[in-house]
Amino acid sequence: MAQPGAVQVTLEASPDEIYDIELEHSLLEANEKLAVENRALLDKKGITAIDFMGAIGSGKTTLITKLVGKLKDKFGVAVFNGDATTSNDADAISQQNVPVVQIATINGCHLDANLVGKGLKRIDLENLKMIFIENIGNLICPAEFPLGSKARVVVVSVTEGPWMVRKHPHMFLGSQVVVINKIDLADAMEVSVEQLINDVHQLKPDIKVIPTSCKNGIGLDEVAETLLAI
Amino acid sequence: MHEFSIASGLVEKLLDFAEKNPDRKIVEVRVAIGEFTQIEEEQLSFCYESIITEMPLAGSRLSIEEVPGKVACPHCFYRGAPKYWEGVLSGAPVATLQCPNCGKAAEAIEGNECAIRSIRYRANELKFHSDCQGSGQS
Repeated sequence: MAQPGAVQVTLEASPDEIYDIELEHSLLEANEKLAVENRALLDKKGITAIDFMGAIGSGKTTLITKLVGKLKDKFGVAVFNGDATTSNDADAISQQNVPVVQIATINGCHLDANLVGKGLKRIDLENLKMIFIENIGNLICPAEFPLGSKARVVVVSVTEGPWMVRKHPHMFLGSQVVVINKIDLADAMEVSVEQLINDVHQLKPDIKVIPTSCKNGIGLDEVAETLLAI
Repeated sequence: MHEFSIASGLVEKLLDFAEKNPDRKIVEVRVAIGEFTQIEEEQLSFCYESIITEMPLAGSRLSIEEVPGKVACPHCFYRGAPKYWEGVLSGAPVATLQCPNCGKAAEAIEGNECAIRSIRYRANELKFHSDCQGSGQS
């Protein structure tokens, strides 16, 4: 309510002064355009980029480290590490002696194609065949922001409980591979790996689901083979 | 909070429009958000309202139209509404990419939208007048 005596300026337009203008403009277009550019550059250089998404603690860094260990002697591999604040993950993967690009999003909740594009300019792409991109630990936001990768992998672990797929369905719809990690702890966690696989297939019947244990090495060869075949 | 990134992109586009059209005052923007996106309408509205304070867009309204998902099946050639996964926890049914007809993998052909549909503006030939709020007189 206006104070007594306050004068308020009011604008009034009659309906014939109101106009609509059609303007089909995608709000995700800027990112999508950069993602296409990233992809074109990667294709030109013969590089396959894979985007790993998943919650904090699902095991993305450990999985990528193990994959790098398996593949780095066969061909050139690099890793992009998205992290909101720290360089812990990039430091860990650097021990593998492969090029690592730390992308600090400064508390941003997802990587975007612009950041990845900048990262691509920072390393020598000539002798690379694969780039693993570790997205920010977040199961919601990265879904709307393609990076230019050839495939998106969702990593969930049994330690996150039985409902990860049901709680974050959108993340799976846009992905090609799902890794269900830490299956060595499934019994202790009383989580059914089968149920998680069924949940993923409810959403997307053709998605490849690979149960893994980075601790015991279970399923890691299958992940590597799957990603190489993409 | 990716809604903030999306709202920022929206505001940038609107400010661009406002700058190119100084004689037009934006009163409403209509955006379409698809069912297959993970964009929360209330959060998007909140972000929009938070950003536009003290901008030429202040006071403008964001209207969100939800675009229902539509799938096409490459196996049985079904086209239409997606299959919904009912009873997922206690939430609303979830649109899936499982073909409702044959159960195989279908593709989303509608429902991934996140776009400005139209802008409603007022031509700036306005009658200015002063009065007490709520008098309703012109």
